[in-house]
Amino acid sequence: MAEELLSVGIDIGTSTTQLVISRLTLENRANPFSVPRISIAKREVCYRSGIHFTPLRSDTVIDAEGVRAIVAEEYEKSGFSREDVSTGAVIITGETARKENAREVLRALSAFAGDFVVATAGPDLESILAARGAGADEYARENHCKVLHFDIGGGTSNLSLYDRGELAATGCLNVGGRLIKLERESGAVTYVSPVLRRLGERGWCPVPAVGERVGPEELAPVVQIMVEALEQAALLRPGTDRLEHFKTEGTRWEPVQAPVLSFSGGVADCIYDPQGDWRAYGDIGVLLGRAIRDSAAFRSVRLRRGAETIRATVVGAGSHSTDLSGSTIFYRGVEFPLKNLPILKLTEEEERGSAADLEGALRAKLGWFADEGGLTQTALALRGSKNPEYRRVKELAQGVCRGLEPLCQEGFFPVLVVEADMAKVLGQAMAPLLEGPLLCLDGVGVDNGDYIDVGAPIANGAVLPVVIKTLVFNKG
Amino acid sequence: MNEKELRALVERMVAELAGQAPTPQVKGADYHPTQPEGTNTGCLDDISEIDLRQQYLVPNPRNGAAFQDLKRKTPARIGVGRAGARYKTITMLRVRADHAAAQDSVFSHVDEAFVDQNGWVFCQTLCADKDEYLTRPDRGRRFDEQNQQIIKNTFGVSPKVALVVGDGLSSAAIEANAPDCMEAIRAGLEGYGIQPGKVLFVKYCRVGASDHIGELTGAEVVCMLVGERPGLVTAESMSAYVTYKPYLGIPESKRTVISNIHRQGTTAVEAGAHVAELIKTMLEKKASGIDLKL
Repeated sequence: MAEELLSVGIDIGTSTTQLVISRLTLENRANPFSVPRISIAKREVCYRSGIHFTPLRSDTVIDAEGVRAIVAEEYEKSGFSREDVSTGAVIITGETARKENAREVLRALSAFAGDFVVATAGPDLESILAARGAGADEYARENHCKVLHFDIGGGTSNLSLYDRGELAATGCLNVGGRLIKLERESGAVTYVSPVLRRLGERGWCPVPAVGERVGPEELAPVVQIMVEALEQAALLRPGTDRLEHFKTEGTRWEPVQAPVLSFSGGVADCIYDPQGDWRAYGDIGVLLGRAIRDSAAFRSVRLRRGAETIRATVVGAGSHSTDLSGSTIFYRGVEFPLKNLPILKLTEEEERGSAADLEGALRAKLGWFADEGGLTQTALALRGSKNPEYRRVKELAQGVCRGLEPLCQEGFFPVLVVEADMAKVLGQAMAPLLEGPLLCLDGVGVDNGDYIDVGAPIANGAVLPVVIKTLVFNKG
Repeated sequence: MNEKELRALVERMVAELAGQAPTPQVKGADYHPTQPEGTNTGCLDDISEIDLRQQYLVPNPRNGAAFQDLKRKTPARIGVGRAGARYKTITMLRVRADHAAAQDSVFSHVDEAFVDQNGWVFCQTLCADKDEYLTRPDRGRRFDEQNQQIIKNTFGVSPKVALVVGDGLSSAAIEANAPDCMEAIRAGLEGYGIQPGKVLFVKYCRVGASDHIGELTGAEVVCMLVGERPGLVTAESMSAYVTYKPYLGIPESKRTVISNIHRQGTTAVEAGAHVAELIKTMLEKKASGIDLKL
């Protein structure tokens, strides 16, 4: 069996807007005499758009029409129609996500670009997609080592740490190539980001003002402090003062040393293929790339160029946002796709309880959700157990069914996301206990604060494509 | 030698054989045990409890973490180190222990009390004992008059499905997996509106016994859980053979098999849920084996 799936990735970043279309090939990896195990065997990019500057109407408003026009034009050029594309992600990244109309733009685009295309924003997910697009996770898995990945874009740098293929941490810094913009001919500064202006206020270094004409010498101190922040994040420079200054809100990054550092994003190109003309892009990206290349601290560890550089995030969104559920799952009467289901996860202890305990714990947590703004369609996440007895499965089914009653009374239905391989038996055990739709899938690990999207069944109904949107990765 | 001396001699030999008394090849001060003696609880640790995927025995590895990562993917005995040109003692003992477990599971019987406990109906093929079972596969596929009657009474006439548990080549596999798997199958079938009926247990059972059962009852689907030939990785692996309208002489290609049902493979309950759905699909499509396009 070889089934294919087309996936689109659209990345609207601080400086650039891009699109890729990828082909995902599914394969049953199990031998024919056992329970199927379908996985994504190959992810290849089959169309790469040009790299467009993100159209903005002002410093705080994205030109939604302009973005729409770019996507429409690229679809046209690619030769694929939106009906061909069955999955993917539209993401708004970096500073752009903080613009006033980001949500509107996402909504307009996700309706435009296929049925099961996820619209999202958030630095944690962006870090993950960039690292996967650049192949940092694969490198860490293949070489059994830690890889610290930096995706350095226009407005922000997204950090992620992979330890032998597993994601260990993510973070985001206000370090990017377009924090200062200037006129290409004259060298006159046209924009200075507030985070850099504050450097001047703190007296750390002189910061050029808008209108000033500057050369590399005047910009060097600012760029140097940005590089130092990156060095501190990688534990290659003592202290955390620089790091703290550039951390975005919500980032909790513990400096960590890794034997391999990898880079992607537009600035990565300036590390490896330095531009002769430092003003080529009308910003400080080239200078930042050069400064990273020349940093003695970074030279002391192995540097790896990402498999993708400026396109890492968009390739990540196109090729790596979709995963598959386990191949033994249960669904009944569900209308796919399901989008943006918040995750409700019990603690390990609550999960081990008797049917009555489970019911109590679930009702208490649902009450919480209800108080915070009414119940919505929620997905219940369970760890499950490795080799459960049937008696335990039954107990779990009863506890969950009764505990989720308040949700069902509001017109929603049980959606269970189990980590261990036990969704089919749990679904079958729950089925007689309640009427109406029911969905039970496994092989997916999620946590409180995550959101999940579930697409229509593929491979003869054996598996479901899922996209996990990790919005809050730092779990303390 | 009188009786007393003889007794003392035998006791000493037994003690030596059981390894309780160290039997140093060198004497006196030259003897330095390389390993501390066992704990004083009078009990040895059960080496078969150790997860081979996590047991890494190479001293001073260049990159042990990476090797351990690889080991997690296979039950193969790699990264076991060596003592001179040989395996380490623990590795050799473990191979022998696993081999013994494999042999035990072939030669031991599923307890009849266990069969009763699960509410299964007991019957037996033409084989009279294990020796005959192992040497005469043909007799493990047929039943005598008395057992034929038990089978007919258990399933009635033309049931939709006949659920069977057979000891096969591993009694350990049945004891470890069959009850949970069968419960999951039955609950799943009920969920699909199919009456599961009673469960038959067959002693000295070969997969082909399904065909005689099909012939006797006219069952639409016969589903048999049977212990797989054990190996050194696990002695507890079970298979489910599911056949649509089996008859004597049906080609093997008309059976659908789900193998590797054990703790480290597909778990008993999840396999049961999968088999329940498989049976439902077979009843709808009226086919099994290579005729069944899934």
